[in-house]
Amino acid sequence: MKKRSRVDWGAYLYIAPAFLLTTVFSLFSMGVSFWTSLHNWDPFRGGGDFVGMDNYRRVLTGTDSVFWVALRNTTLYVVMVLVGMIGTALPLALLCRKAKYLQGLFRTLYFLPSITPGVVVSLIFYQLFGLWGQLLDKSTTALVAIAMMGIWSSMGYNMLLFLAGLNEIPIDFYEAARIDGANSVTEFWHITIPFLRNTLVFVIVMTIIGAYQVFTSVYVMTGGGPERSTQVLAFDIFMNAFSVSGQMGYASAAAWLLFLVIGVFVFIQMRLMRSQRIYDE
Amino acid sequence: MSFITKGKFGTALALVVMCIGAWVMAFPYLFAIGSSVKSRSEFAKDRYSLIPPRYQPTKLWNVYVNGKSDPEHAEQLQKWYPTRNYVEAVVYGGIDRFLCNSFLYAVIITSVSLFFNTLAAYAFARMKFPGREVLFNTLLATMMIPSVVTLIPQFLVIQKIGLVDHWLGVVLPGFAGAFGIFLLRQFFLNIPMELENAARLDGCSRWGILWLIIVPLSKPALITLGLFTFMGAWNSFEWPLVVLSNENYYPLTVGLALFRDQNGQDWPRVLAAGVMGSAPLIVLFYLAQKFLVGGISLSGMKT
Repeated sequence: MKKRSRVDWGAYLYIAPAFLLTTVFSLFSMGVSFWTSLHNWDPFRGGGDFVGMDNYRRVLTGTDSVFWVALRNTTLYVVMVLVGMIGTALPLALLCRKAKYLQGLFRTLYFLPSITPGVVVSLIFYQLFGLWGQLLDKSTTALVAIAMMGIWSSMGYNMLLFLAGLNEIPIDFYEAARIDGANSVTEFWHITIPFLRNTLVFVIVMTIIGAYQVFTSVYVMTGGGPERSTQVLAFDIFMNAFSVSGQMGYASAAAWLLFLVIGVFVFIQMRLMRSQRIYDE
Repeated sequence: MSFITKGKFGTALALVVMCIGAWVMAFPYLFAIGSSVKSRSEFAKDRYSLIPPRYQPTKLWNVYVNGKSDPEHAEQLQKWYPTRNYVEAVVYGGIDRFLCNSFLYAVIITSVSLFFNTLAAYAFARMKFPGREVLFNTLLATMMIPSVVTLIPQFLVIQKIGLVDHWLGVVLPGFAGAFGIFLLRQFFLNIPMELENAARLDGCSRWGILWLIIVPLSKPALITLGLFTFMGAWNSFEWPLVVLSNENYYPLTVGLALFRDQNGQDWPRVLAAGVMGSAPLIVLFYLAQKFLVGGISLSGMKT
């Protein structure tokens, strides 16, 4: 690289299409979203008045606002998915290595949900939950049922990530530990977990970011009901923005508040990526 | 404790647990396929069985081996041929149109984004220009923005340029992505400079180097990225749902939600449509699987 110090002005042409598209639909969009959240925006009228922080106030303290209910439901969902997913994917990855046979079949089957449209999965589970005692019709079980589907969908993919992480642990460590008389439990806590730390943090953060935006399963299976028990933030934002007229500013404000919640985890993820040096060449 | 985790017994136990897990994974699919060949009355009466009652071994044994004729059963077999729900999903639900739309959207998004991302990735990997680091870091930052924040403004932007309810509005935001640029750039950086320098000595231009040397050498990365882009486009639901209101433009995912609303009582048909919507992707994935990038080990250099 150092041999050429000449500037390639043509490079700007190479990056222009991708760069413009990406920034318009993300960074610029974020600006538009913030601007919208400060206005009483009606997209079908194509205008609106400046209302300052009023939308945020309405989201946080309005009497008709479901923000806090939705935030509570979404957080509950995130916790359930996270616990359920780690509690299944990690043991399964360990077991998959231990089970010396049929690994190809297991990988194939466990990966299937990742390549099935979320709508189809939701339709199938809508029927299955109906079979297993009308789980979606009771406000006590509906969110649990949706979380179960979330776990089912993400378990296999994360298992494969853990499996990849496990395969990078040098076998010498286990051999050395065995010579020192360590048992399986000690090996797990003192070799496997420390080596899997990066994978674990990555999987946890990505799961949290993804689960906070849960939408498709709620849209297809419950529509937020029964009794708002599955009202989640992304669904609330979608309904306000695109089903109720004149609520786009309100929905944008709610989206920004959700972004603040997710932002904490995005920040962790960015720190993590930096620390893993994949920013560098 | 340790006898559980060691030796043959441990392996057997692991196998058993993994098999149970595999069943949990496979069951919803078997349920969907089984239900999709049931008749409406069969589905209403018996939703649990994975094999439709009219095909259950005891029934078939009676008919074909014992030779007992059961006119009602014979009529059922005749009337509800296995693919009937699939045919009806196409005839009454227009699933073929949704499939076709999904396929077109996915192909357009995949090919255009691969092209744009390749160009950008090559510039970031091999060209020198002022602001390169700043621009690249800006791109990386866009990767962190959750889609829930960009959904509304993306709609407003698309509305501003008059593409709401237009096929171009569905695909336009997918035409480039920071993740793809990042992935390809990493791959390009690992291709030895020597190949490029040799081509340059032979008088090859930048453009020529990119398409004659870099792209052919990056096939595994391009196929991997292409496959994942295709899958993402095929599975996307929220964005087309927001942009489109004309049913004729619906991709499969949105079409299925609509089809469910219109055929709420006819679940075998809805599930048949769902099977049709997921099968192409699963088949595609397992066909393309062997081309996926395993490690970045090919460099074309002999050392």
